[in-house]
Amino acid sequence: MTETEEKTGPPVTLIDPIDMTKLDPKFRNDISSMPNGEELSACFACSTCTAACPIANQWDYMPHQLIRMILLGMRDEVLSSKEIWECLTCFQCQERCPQKVRVTDIFFDCKNLAAEEGHVPENVLALGKTLVDKGQLYEVINDWEREDLDLEPEVPGLSIEGIQSILKSTRTGKLVEDGE
Amino acid sequence: MTDPVLVIGAGVAGMTAAVELADNGVKTILIDRKSTIGGNALELYKAFPTDDCFYCFEGNRWRPGIRKCFYRSAMVDQPNIDLKTDTRVKGISGTPGKFSVILDLGPQYVDPKRCTLCGLCTNVSEAFLLASPQCQPQAVSYDPEKTDDGAKKAEDECPTQAINLSAIQTEETVTVSDIVIATGYHEMKPSVVDEYGYGKLPNVITQLELAQMLDPNGESAGALVRPSDGAQVKNVMMIQCVGSRDENYYPFCSKICCVFALKHANIISSERNDSRVSVVYMDIRTYDQHERYYRETRDAGVEFVRGRVSRVESQKDGTLDVHVYDSLLNRYLKFTVDLLVLSSALEPPEAADELLSSLGLNSASGYVGPADPISENEVVAGEHVYACGGALGPAEVPESVNQARAVVSKILQGRK
Repeated sequence: MTETEEKTGPPVTLIDPIDMTKLDPKFRNDISSMPNGEELSACFACSTCTAACPIANQWDYMPHQLIRMILLGMRDEVLSSKEIWECLTCFQCQERCPQKVRVTDIFFDCKNLAAEEGHVPENVLALGKTLVDKGQLYEVINDWEREDLDLEPEVPGLSIEGIQSILKSTRTGKLVEDGE
Repeated sequence: MTDPVLVIGAGVAGMTAAVELADNGVKTILIDRKSTIGGNALELYKAFPTDDCFYCFEGNRWRPGIRKCFYRSAMVDQPNIDLKTDTRVKGISGTPGKFSVILDLGPQYVDPKRCTLCGLCTNVSEAFLLASPQCQPQAVSYDPEKTDDGAKKAEDECPTQAINLSAIQTEETVTVSDIVIATGYHEMKPSVVDEYGYGKLPNVITQLELAQMLDPNGESAGALVRPSDGAQVKNVMMIQCVGSRDENYYPFCSKICCVFALKHANIISSERNDSRVSVVYMDIRTYDQHERYYRETRDAGVEFVRGRVSRVESQKDGTLDVHVYDSLLNRYLKFTVDLLVLSSALEPPEAADELLSSLGLNSASGYVGPADPISENEVVAGEHVYACGGALGPAEVPESVNQARAVVSKILQGRK
């Protein structure tokens, strides 16, 4: 302990920590109040979800880290992350979670929140536009394949108008409209 | 006529052993170096796993009367117990089964049989203190180092003449058949682990210090306030394994600090509504039945960060900036907290070494080790020497009670 007035500042480091006061402590409540979020706080970060995930090695944030980020209040980082959209929704994380956290469903909730805030990736929006415009994602264009199989050219019972109008008048339509 | 049993330490384990021996007709001398018995448990506020005041310890539960009386009736009214407070062991000689123990009896400034806790002395002098309204024996204590002009006045005016300021230290030699070591544990003062600033920064405290702050009978009447300026605490951070599981200090796991950290985090988040708690840990070890504390704490919204602290900096407004490495996120986090609570290692009590060597007992990292490490009789420390509770290593209340009962059973079998 020095008696002088001289202020010695904190030691210089290259570390730039995340300032907890800038995060959103209500984010965890936003998620846990959604239908799938009840068990969110039960997460004890064992990382079983990440062990189960078939694609997490491609991600910057692993599934257990995304749940940690929700609990810490890293709202912007989670809702603008690519990972929640790249989730295969295979539900293996949710099946294996020892604390019954609905991991995959929570990512769905995150996608819904992200969509409300306009954070939908371009490629997903493009898919939405295709659905709204064409009523289907995969058009049958190679008629010769059906012909080779002795099938009639039109897919029987395919009704795209109904799908189109439902999607147009619900959120998908709105997102596509806003995106344009 | 058989010699009495000497129980050293009147905490949960020592009291249980003494009560149960006495109830079985065995004369028991129960000594404690403090003037108030109860040991560490006295300072826990709520003891897990029942969250009760610990006075209702198992050995007393069946006694009639209201809860506080369970305890008092045993310690004061059981004729087979000879309770000596302010007393230390000075020397042990003799042979197993017939030990000769020299006891150092501190000056008895206040006679507990006369003190009525009227409060006159504590009003006129700083030297008198009522440790707790439930303290046992029910008497104030006197600290000669704090003596002032009021002390003499208190002695003169004490309505029951319970105070004798000229009391002197005395010595007594007792012959006992068995010795029960129930000397408990001590919470390490973690100033040596200097990255946390304990002892330098007033808002860095230990778990037992926090327990006393949370106790409604404590100095702040249960309010969670910053020691530096008395401001309301909004953000609390706890750090686990400070000095435990660390080859530089104590290599063993202190075993119960996770549960008491969780217990305190629960109390703070459920009873002190505006406060937020973060716990920085390496592993949360809630052994036995205590997993529920962890689950409840997570449900209560307590933030768990697996990682370690990089540094603690005091800010001008009295808060502390704590930089933490979150090993799960692989990122550094900066918290601003009012109170930093260290879950410090639980170490053997002072003079444990002397006791071990004077009786020729095995040491287990400084605690009492079993005489035969291979046998399952962990409470048997030597011939006619037993140990229970924290003296064997950090232990919770039920475990201390079980071990004390095991000791009693061994002694009774030996006397058959």
